[in-house]
Amino acid sequence: MPGEIELADLLTVDRIDTGCQLSSKKRLMERITSLLLQGRARLDRKTVLQTLIERERLGSTGIGKGVALPHGRINGLDDVIGAVVVLANPLDYGAVDDESVRLAFGLLVPAQANEQHLRILAHLARLFDDEMIRNKVISANDNQEVFDLLTTWTA
Amino acid sequence: MKIIILGAGQVGASTAEVLSGEANDITLIDIDSNALRQLQDRLDIRTVTGNAAYPSVLSRAGAEDADLLLAVTNSDEINMVACTIAATIFDTPTKMARIRAPEYLTCQEIFDNDAFPVDVLISPEQILTNHIMRLVEYPSAIQVLDFAGGRIQLAGVRADHDGPMVGCPLSELRDHVPNVDARVAAIYRSEKVISPEADTIIKLEDEVFFVAARENINDVMREMRKVDRLVNRVMLAGGGNIGFGLATNLEAKGYSVKVIERDPACAESVADRLNDTVVLLGDAADEELLRQENIDGMDVFCAVTNNDEANILSAMLAKRLGARRVMALINRAVYVALFEHSELDVVISPRLATVGSILAHIRRGDIVAVHSLKHGSAEAIEAIAHGDRNSSRVVGRGVRDLPLPAGTGIGAILRNDEVLIAHKDTVIESEDHIILFVVDKKYIPEVERLFQVDVMYL
Repeated sequence: MPGEIELADLLTVDRIDTGCQLSSKKRLMERITSLLLQGRARLDRKTVLQTLIERERLGSTGIGKGVALPHGRINGLDDVIGAVVVLANPLDYGAVDDESVRLAFGLLVPAQANEQHLRILAHLARLFDDEMIRNKVISANDNQEVFDLLTTWTA
Repeated sequence: MKIIILGAGQVGASTAEVLSGEANDITLIDIDSNALRQLQDRLDIRTVTGNAAYPSVLSRAGAEDADLLLAVTNSDEINMVACTIAATIFDTPTKMARIRAPEYLTCQEIFDNDAFPVDVLISPEQILTNHIMRLVEYPSAIQVLDFAGGRIQLAGVRADHDGPMVGCPLSELRDHVPNVDARVAAIYRSEKVISPEADTIIKLEDEVFFVAARENINDVMREMRKVDRLVNRVMLAGGGNIGFGLATNLEAKGYSVKVIERDPACAESVADRLNDTVVLLGDAADEELLRQENIDGMDVFCAVTNNDEANILSAMLAKRLGARRVMALINRAVYVALFEHSELDVVISPRLATVGSILAHIRRGDIVAVHSLKHGSAEAIEAIAHGDRNSSRVVGRGVRDLPLPAGTGIGAILRNDEVLIAHKDTVIESEDHIILFVVDKKYIPEVERLFQVDVMYL
């Protein structure tokens, strides 16, 4: 089915970090950038970081309930990459509900954003709206567990 | 946002004051611990004492976590080095620096090529020069601000008995100037703001702020008071950076300019670098000198020395001796308020002008320009709308349906290079530049939120 979202297509275990101790939103963006760059030698760190930060300026990607979906469009990228940071400490993120953030799913998509990319965002928003999975991810013991939880979730 | 401000001078302190009132996390660095202590008593900020360019000092101020560095110490070099250190060691996302020296400002490539990674240059002298130039061009205005690259302007004018609209309701403005579209954004009557309605009657001495396309500003202004004849002769007191910059701009536009400078070396240097301007060595508060130089024939007298008291005195004297319109540059906030309703026609606050240009880069959402008005109590903002009906709270909606906070109005829109004056049924489109007037700055966060895109905006 063309609309089906398989998070396993865009996420890998080594792009997940759990129990992360970070002191600010800026550090979180840096951490997500490093994860997104795993195995992507062609991507420029500065560009990715700047893209995420500029998108934040247009409006917070903190969707509420402690979840953020920082994302951006990258020139020259031809697939979608995701990365996950689960924080050990709640972080001030300027989210829509002013609640601190506990977990962030970072997403990079090609410059020509299309319907499929929007569906991925919508899928993530629905997924993290599910309180059970949210709590499971936040209290997961390792990266593999987070990966399994996220990639097997269905609405 | 986590913001580090370097330098607790006029601009640093004012910016800290505005931003600390808006849910930001501010750390102010200065070498002078006394200056910091005074501010800390008054504002909710953190302070660090030390050399603002040192990595250890920046680190103590929390540079690893800062979203933005604002370098406004009184040294260009410290500001430039601090931005470089912040970029190299701390990866600070946004770096702004005040740069005064034309030597650096005219050498843009040092900032473009990452030699000095400054994202935004702030030049108070340039901002002020532009500000004053607009007041010279519109001799009846108390304030003229540019939006949309100068296509749209916001002008403030004091209603006088010879203005045809005085005594008339705003609804009649259309009949008075049939081919001109304009929107009155706010009216200040005895320092109280009135939200303009169709039946609001313009009274004598009202300060009327309106938005219109640049080419229509004079037509509307003429309805509020008799428009003074165009300016030809300008006298400047002070040949420093601002005086010199102004004189250069004025003579290039064909005005006849005289500059009074009391320091012989400075006077000589200014005279050497200007072509048609007459540079006079002397004291601008010297009645004899002013008379000799035909002060009563001057269309504008503008005092721009670095001394507030000298500016106030010489401008008052010039007014008494017959100069048509006098302006004084005043740094101290108390003086600005004190002399706004005095013999001085225009009081120029460099602090307000500069803070506005800084705010444009700090506000959330895609904000292009911010201008502080009325001692900083009100703001005029240019914001860009992005997204569609789903991802934006403004796009695809009519102006009347926008959940604007109290006292906030949309004046004009720039759409594909075309100026539209906002009407109730105007529908906002993506990429529109929207000019808003916010009478009470406490509503700014609400306005920012309104223009922010939803998480689904890709």
